[in-house]
Amino acid sequence: MSSSSAYDPHESAKVAARIEQRWALVVVGIVAVLVAMVIFTGLHWAMMPPSRVETIDPTTLHVSGEFVESNLGSTVEQDGSVTVRLVAQQYSFTPQCIVVPAKTPIIFRATSADVVHGMLITDTNINSMLEPGYISTFKTRFDKPGNHLMPCHEFCGLGHEAMWANVKVVDQDTFFKMAAKTRRLSCVNP
Amino acid sequence: MNGQRLVSWRNPWFVASVGGTFAVLVFSAFVGFVWLPSAQDDELFKGLLNAICSAAGVPRSWLANASPPVPPSSPVSNVALTPTMLSKPSDASTGRGATLALRCTMCHGARGVSAANTPNLAGQYAPSVYKELRDFQNGARVSAIMAPMVVGLSDQDMRDLAAYYAFLPRLSVKTSHGNAEAPDVVATGAPMRNIAPCASCHGGLTDKVGAPWLNGQPLTYLTSQLNAFATGKRRNDISEQMRNVARQMTPNEIDEAAKYYAAQ
Repeated sequence: MSSSSAYDPHESAKVAARIEQRWALVVVGIVAVLVAMVIFTGLHWAMMPPSRVETIDPTTLHVSGEFVESNLGSTVEQDGSVTVRLVAQQYSFTPQCIVVPAKTPIIFRATSADVVHGMLITDTNINSMLEPGYISTFKTRFDKPGNHLMPCHEFCGLGHEAMWANVKVVDQDTFFKMAAKTRRLSCVNP
Repeated sequence: MNGQRLVSWRNPWFVASVGGTFAVLVFSAFVGFVWLPSAQDDELFKGLLNAICSAAGVPRSWLANASPPVPPSSPVSNVALTPTMLSKPSDASTGRGATLALRCTMCHGARGVSAANTPNLAGQYAPSVYKELRDFQNGARVSAIMAPMVVGLSDQDMRDLAAYYAFLPRLSVKTSHGNAEAPDVVATGAPMRNIAPCASCHGGLTDKVGAPWLNGQPLTYLTSQLNAFATGKRRNDISEQMRNVARQMTPNEIDEAAKYYAAQ
């Protein structure tokens, strides 16, 4: 449009062309900053993108596969990492109390048995949606022992406000001593 | 404007803006589909094609080398509940159910209502009756009385029974305390202790498939079942749904909830 400025006798057209050029640069700059932010958070902060899509039948979680009741909780894998499996349902997480070791690579595997739920572990950057039909897989690591609240953060029905779990991070020694006694760990009091 | 064509390769503004946008697109696609996925240490993100497919959301198995699932030590419920199951039974099914139900009358009453401290089944949700029958049959729910009663039942028999009991009119006991206001645990639960309101699954606020209708059930039955869930003696609730709640309830709350529902 403003390429016409060379032929335009009016000074105002030149001004308009200059302003347009600056705006174009500003907009390009904004886009560049946004892309750079995505790259930075993707490499250094974010847990979730890129997604790990995996599907499962939500109606038969309890019948077979890795989300049967007896397989939920924390497992020590052969490589020393810990896998935590949990199911979200109206209106609780199972297990209700999750125990994990500090300073250890941890993989969470979670899914929903009914509607869309969410899990958010306070004081960490763990935040994931749990959707029926899909397994949410993500990796994390807790730096120090402590207790964290894990509320459902996706409105899931009239009992939503009561839906939360505890995440207990204990030191490695304590955890692996507990793990020696049972194959699937949780801190639910029977 | 001097009439020069806007969309033309001879227009440097057009070339710069379209070319620039396209370059940003290509670069962003590279970032999203190649660079960021490749930075993850999963095996399934390694390699160009893998990275692109995984980032694009092709479903795959993300935990291939996990240890095998631990099998349950005692039978668990294997009923797959769906919101539409048993919602439209045929008349023939209800009729067959009525005939089959003759064997149940001794404890559950001629029309699904009895004074024997057994559950009243008249008007009970069909999925609940069907699920409990299946659970009695495979041993997920333990009862010395019910186990022999369900031995010979086929899947269709249990569907028919469920249809019949759902069809019967509900009992209305409405005693003098029946109009009492619902106790806190029924109406609002105890969110600070992980207890959702009873009414958010068992009717009153909303229903959840598989959760039974509790109004008018015998007091002793309600109390004993809540206690059995709390101690883990009864474990046929899917993925600990009811145990998670009952475990947190105080003896007083169990008492209040049972009394409330028994009086409705």
